[in-house]
Amino acid sequence: MKYFILPKSILLLLTVMVFFSCQDELTTTYTYRTMLPVYLEMSDIRARVISTEPAKPLDNPGKIYIYKDYLFINEPTKGIHILNNSNPSNPTNLSFIPIAGNIDMAVNGDILYADNYVDLLAFDISNINDIKLVKRVEDVFTHMYRHDTGEVITFKDTVITSDNPMWHREGTWFMDASMSFSSNFSAASKSYGVGGSMARFTLSSGHLYAVDESTLRVFNVENADDPNFVKPIDLGWGIETIFPFEDKLFIGSNVGMHIYDASTPSSPTRMSVYEHVQACDPVVVNSEYAFVTLRNGNACWNGVNELQVINIKDPYRPYMMEQYPMQNPHGLGLAGDFLFIAEGSYGLKSFNVSDVLAIDQNQLEFLTDQKSVDLIPGPKSLIVIGPDGVCQFDYSKPSQLKKLSCIQVSNPVNVY
Amino acid sequence: MAQKITILLFFSLFICFASLGQSKVYFNQTELGFLLGKRAEQMTGQKENRIDISFITFHGVRINPNHVIGFSVGLDQYEDISIIPIALGWRGFLGQEGKSRIFAGLDIGGGSALLEKKTETEWNKNWYEGGHLISPSLGASFPSKKGKSTLTLSFAYKHQQFSELAGTFASPGSTQIQSDDLPPGFSSFFENNYLFRSFVFRAGLMF
Repeated sequence: MKYFILPKSILLLLTVMVFFSCQDELTTTYTYRTMLPVYLEMSDIRARVISTEPAKPLDNPGKIYIYKDYLFINEPTKGIHILNNSNPSNPTNLSFIPIAGNIDMAVNGDILYADNYVDLLAFDISNINDIKLVKRVEDVFTHMYRHDTGEVITFKDTVITSDNPMWHREGTWFMDASMSFSSNFSAASKSYGVGGSMARFTLSSGHLYAVDESTLRVFNVENADDPNFVKPIDLGWGIETIFPFEDKLFIGSNVGMHIYDASTPSSPTRMSVYEHVQACDPVVVNSEYAFVTLRNGNACWNGVNELQVINIKDPYRPYMMEQYPMQNPHGLGLAGDFLFIAEGSYGLKSFNVSDVLAIDQNQLEFLTDQKSVDLIPGPKSLIVIGPDGVCQFDYSKPSQLKKLSCIQVSNPVNVY
Repeated sequence: MAQKITILLFFSLFICFASLGQSKVYFNQTELGFLLGKRAEQMTGQKENRIDISFITFHGVRINPNHVIGFSVGLDQYEDISIIPIALGWRGFLGQEGKSRIFAGLDIGGGSALLEKKTETEWNKNWYEGGHLISPSLGASFPSKKGKSTLTLSFAYKHQQFSELAGTFASPGSTQIQSDDLPPGFSSFFENNYLFRSFVFRAGLMF
């Protein structure tokens, strides 16, 4: 036995030593997220028939729009979910309108406007079970055109593994996850956009306003089912959000908040720029004050966590009146005298803001177990967006918020 | 690093001495030596030699006069990378007990990167992972005059895998892309996968 095993072992060892010359091996791999360009012909996109599809589960919701008893929830770049919300305690998913390249929407009467890459679509939604495309306004968001041949460029989030340390390859862009093409338009970024290049919509005085990164596009929608493009207005670079109030437009940019006079709706004019607020600072407005949350830990590096109250009684000369320390305030919403603040992982707060100089003494409720990044005070419920999905609260008593329901989302927003 | 080696040596010696009084069923082989190899080819095409330190202590049970099975632990210091090899092993002897004998061995297991420091900041994370280990060996043993312990000289081939990993965290709030290649929570990921192939020369004691 022993004489049999040992010579074999020696032979094996010698073989190993001969065949491996003891040279080390090093393999290096780089794995990173990138955006791969996808080129599309508008003629192909226009040729597709858009018809309502059966309900789909919510993946990564974008803008939420409340229309009558329905919730319209955008799935960025894919389309719009329609949910029946007649009972906020039990919203039901009805159907899905597939609209490629769709980022934003607005409803005027019974007409839904939605962008479809470079075109604006108008749908008749008077019968929610029979939604019809009634008009396509072509070539309005022309900044998406790659060149004049009718080809648009869009990007697909992709993970690439390579042995090349150069993190930039021809035809790809190295990106941080925050630059994700679709996540730019997720619910969380709605109020404090991370930088989208597509339209953001708002309706005011019979006009639809759509902003992209540098331009405000005005549509006349006095005739709801017949939107007409009026003109583009140059706003300067870094425009991200638009918020209408009365006859004014509050437009968030990278460097400040622009206040536009929209009393002549077809031709808004700039009144002032409040430069101490950045686009990633969510803003809500009433007739006298703008409420802004600034927080640490996002791309804007504010260095503070606070609520600021800006006096806008004279829109030509806005100034800060008061500031209140907060924990990590994200989105906020105003309903009459009540202000609701999403405090990130800390929870959800409600305040009475009738005395803007004593907001800190008028905190009504603090739900520490409701992580939240954004909220919308709707006519029936307070819609809160967070890691739990899209939740609704009864806020008839702002001091006693009562959870009604949560819509499951497969890829919910994280608190950050 | 010297401190780590000292601690490990003391620990191993303690195990050795603690087991000295036991019956002959127990077998121990403790050796210190060198790992000789060539570094991976550099961008310039240059191939540099490396000489590293290796320590091993094997604990086994004699299943018959010529065969021992057990496990080995130790420390291999590849330049600034410390790996703790942990393996199951076999030793087989040729020759008469009590006289000089030649022996062969085989250790199969893995190397742990436990001693390597992890760093983690708000933005990124660096860490190390050990990998599989195979080491066939061949040696000679020379009994001491008192007969209690035996001096050994051995040669081995050691195949050790080791990974250096670094990742940049995805921005908070960003969506995840489902991918098997990118661990969850990271936006980019870098991996240096080393395969150390060494010729080992060691000397020590067995009893």
